[in-house]
Amino acid sequence: MVEQSFELPDLGEGIAEGELVAWAVAPGDHVEQDQVIAEVETDKALVEVPSPYDGTVTELHAEEGEMVPVDYVIATFEIDASDAEPAGTEAETDESSTPVDAGTVEAESAELETAEATEGGAEASEAGGAPGGRVFAAPSTRSLARDLDVDIETVEGTGAGGRVTESDVRRAAESASESGASEPASGADATPSEAEPVVVESAGGTKRERTLAMPATRRLARERGVDINDVPASEEREGEPFVTPADVEAYVESGGSAAETGASAERGASASAGAAAGGTGAGTNTGDAGAAASPGGERVPYRGIRRTIGEQMAQSKFTAPHVTHHDEFDASGLVDLRAELAEIADEEDVNLTYLPFVVKAVTSALKEVPYLNASLDEEAGEIVLHDEYNIGIAVATDDGLLVPVIKHADRKGLKELAREIDELATQARERSLPREAMRGGTFTITNIGVIGGEYSSPIINYPEAGIFAMGPIKKRPWVVDDEVVARKTMTISMSVDHRLVDGAEAAQFTNHVQTLLADPARLVLE
Amino acid sequence: MVMGDITTGTDVVVIGGGPGGYVAAIRAAQRGLATTLVEKDHYGGACLNHGCIPSKAFITAADVADEAANASGMGVYADPEVDMGELAAWKDDVVDRLTGGVEQLCEANGVDLIEGTAAFEDEHTVRIAHGGEGQGMETVEFEQAIVATGSRPVEIPGFDFADEPVWSSRDALAAETVPDDLVVVGAGYIGMELSTTFAKLGADVTVVEMLDDVLPAYEEDVSSVVRRRADDLGIDFTFGEGASGWEETSDGRIAVHTETEDGTESTYEADRVLVAVGREPVTDTLELEEIDLAPDDDGFLRTDDRARTDLDHVFAVGDVAGEPMLAHKASAEGIVAAEVAAGENAAFDARAIPAAVFTDPEIATVGLTEAEAEEAGFDPLVGEMPLRANGRALTMDETEGFVRIVAEADAGFVLGAQIVAPEASELIAEAALAVEMGARLDDLAGTIHTHPTLSETLLEAAENALGEAIHTLNE
Ligand SMILES: Cc1cc2nc3c(=O)[nH]c(=O)nc-3n(C[C@H](O)[C@H](O)[C@H](O)COP(=O)(O)OP(=O)(O)OC[C@H]3O[C@@H](n4cnc5c(N)ncnc54)[C@H](O)[C@@H]3O)c2cc1C
Repeated sequence: MVEQSFELPDLGEGIAEGELVAWAVAPGDHVEQDQVIAEVETDKALVEVPSPYDGTVTELHAEEGEMVPVDYVIATFEIDASDAEPAGTEAETDESSTPVDAGTVEAESAELETAEATEGGAEASEAGGAPGGRVFAAPSTRSLARDLDVDIETVEGTGAGGRVTESDVRRAAESASESGASEPASGADATPSEAEPVVVESAGGTKRERTLAMPATRRLARERGVDINDVPASEEREGEPFVTPADVEAYVESGGSAAETGASAERGASASAGAAAGGTGAGTNTGDAGAAASPGGERVPYRGIRRTIGEQMAQSKFTAPHVTHHDEFDASGLVDLRAELAEIADEEDVNLTYLPFVVKAVTSALKEVPYLNASLDEEAGEIVLHDEYNIGIAVATDDGLLVPVIKHADRKGLKELAREIDELATQARERSLPREAMRGGTFTITNIGVIGGEYSSPIINYPEAGIFAMGPIKKRPWVVDDEVVARKTMTISMSVDHRLVDGAEAAQFTNHVQTLLADPARLVLE
Repeated sequence: MVMGDITTGTDVVVIGGGPGGYVAAIRAAQRGLATTLVEKDHYGGACLNHGCIPSKAFITAADVADEAANASGMGVYADPEVDMGELAAWKDDVVDRLTGGVEQLCEANGVDLIEGTAAFEDEHTVRIAHGGEGQGMETVEFEQAIVATGSRPVEIPGFDFADEPVWSSRDALAAETVPDDLVVVGAGYIGMELSTTFAKLGADVTVVEMLDDVLPAYEEDVSSVVRRRADDLGIDFTFGEGASGWEETSDGRIAVHTETEDGTESTYEADRVLVAVGREPVTDTLELEEIDLAPDDDGFLRTDDRARTDLDHVFAVGDVAGEPMLAHKASAEGIVAAEVAAGENAAFDARAIPAAVFTDPEIATVGLTEAEAEEAGFDPLVGEMPLRANGRALTMDETEGFVRIVAEADAGFVLGAQIVAPEASELIAEAALAVEMGARLDDLAGTIHTHPTLSETLLEAAENALGEAIHTLNE
């Protein structure tokens, strides 16, 4: 028998952790390879984690509901030694660089297994992270990690070059603890939330004269052309604001001023707390001040889908300058045609909504304006014009917005689209979407009609180039032959990444969509 | 328990008063534990009494004399005379001051000091035999024990440290005269430090080494700098020979016999032979069998990162707990043991333990070499600064040597440094801090260093790694 520890595999897409929703096994259980042992909510889906081994579960190292970092040992198995017979020769696999998806986890782990077993299973492997399990962090940070019971090797560093900082450790500790909701918002204990850096401002919110930062961070600020004293600090050292490279990047990304607005908003909030917090607050963590100012209340852990959405929205909004275009068109023809076709579709048990029509029209428009079926590869300095038309459909679920993708929408007819949308939406609501179904999108459609309102300013599903929001179809005043009449119209809102296209292209796009939808017989020709 | 024994109780008993033990005792007492420190010999252990401190005292004196005698290039002429007796007295004074200080510090912190040899009686009792016949015994019952019994020089067959002409490093450091001819067996760091010292003090030194180079633990370009300087000092080296025995010659001197692997024998005439072939952990006085604790194959007590042995309440620190056998490592472990004993969440998690060799020039290293970094899976990025390009080095008339920094290429995190230079032992501290803090090359290069100092070489080496050194060419 050989002891084997099993780490939460890398689930791809830069996901650093997932919530262990449920264990499917208990210590003492015998499991077979591929048997599902746990459900982990990672990005936007529940991932079933299969056992890499035939063997017996000896220990589970994570509680249900716990946030588990990737590479964290979640379970220990006792496996048959015969099972662990080395199959390959290469011990080290390149598991750190290529994201694995759930489907390949097993193969990857199996390789790890042989690697470790070759060494007689004597020592737990140092998979993941820097070579040799090395984590770059100061001794004080490592000691803090010990005190907070955080395995520092699993903490993702946000410091210069990926150095693990004190606040990274605190964050990891916080997301590991389940007490988020019950913990009182006591000032001393209030650690920065995961959402955004707590802005550590100098007294009175005036520009700082002095800022603590590592030389490499100062250099970064210089290279980015910002004054380090302007950068909101996410940490505090020795009672002074301490700026990290991430702070500098965030400040730069926000154009140097958005962050400032954030800071002054924070300041506004804490100002109401009175001079006590604001006045003496050189280096006072305004997170604390905020907590003191706001009437106590429930604190809900920010994680899972909510946090993923939040992070992606923030990234999109702070990276891609959005320009939003609104329009309205006469949808009478669409309403009629849909009613007609829906009856036929119904006979085949297909629920034909307006969405497939919109998908068709949008796909056609994307062919007209290829820069909207594109994304910007900043690193390469290239605009990637996609040769596939994979349309994401935003679906509201109890836990938040999910975006399943219809692959090759341009090659599918209305009926097929209707079927697929129906299926994906159902899976999304049941949280049974395979991860694959959420990848590869090139453009997104969101249906805000269902939630009411007229227009919206949708946020692009980054790194796509645009997002199209269909509003509700309802009777609105419409001018026909100089007379105002009641017509069923549809409102549309569309945001585009202004780096890739200008407003004119957005208008060209919506015009094309509208032409098709206003006269949907054309769609049939598409 | 033997009739007539006194029995006392304590929270922590620390066995051995070297830099591992006394530091552990003081920290344990600071943490409020009733602490008893048992030392059979001298407080301060090998380090203060016959290791680091006396050797550095000798080395410094030898350097002063050697530098004064060899400063004609600067227009300074001197022919210094070393009075070995006075030098030894000064050295003893330094040692006394330090060991006295250790004793005082222990007492001031409330550590109970007991002189004697401790051995385990059972899992919670040690018996302490006071030095000398009929001095009596006492028994101490403890909750937790910290074993810090250190190491001793290894003896090789044919050379008994009890014989007058055969020196251990300890004997060499207690010398009252400088032998005319000295054979040094072993070219490790202690052998090289003492060879250099005695050569500078006027001895004709021959070094006999089984391997084929000096300082085998170091990279070739590092050790060769020291080797060249040793050659200049007139030290003779014979490699590939093992010392097999010695005998007294008719004129009251000794003949040291050596043998190569294929059996070729040689003989070296000398007045003294210093055997410095390594150190071995001391566990045989402890009666470890009584607590079912056994040393590993190399004689060390295995510990985890909390400095705990296989028994949760028995800690081991310092030389007895494994390589590297260095005083600062002993102290660092002592701190961990004491804090864990006090219920704290301490652990030994140092990224790197710096090491210094007080040869001429000095060698100091920390962390990974380029080869080690590669082996560990890093993509190493290396920067070097030769001493001859450093202003301060030139003004010291010391141009041999270099500073090398090893970083990983991705983000430039500093992984290690190798320094061959005067004051390398001091310079390495900055590199050690960089490694521990997870500093990057940028951080070193972005920190202003005092001019003109040797420390600027670290900045330059970091810049060189980044391809932007000012005072050297960046290949
Ligand atoms: C010549 C020389 C030069 C050195 N130079 C350096 C240097 O420059 N830098 C450096 O870092 N290191 C140096 N060292 C190594 C350093 O001395 C040791 O690493 C260090 O002393 C180890 O500390 P320790 O506490 O583990 O053991 P020790 O210092 O060996 O102390 C152990 C103590 O335990 C006592 N003891 C043993 N058994 C018992 C018992 N049963 N009961 C009671 N007491 C007991 C011994 O008498 C001794 O005092 C040098 C060593 C030598 C020999």
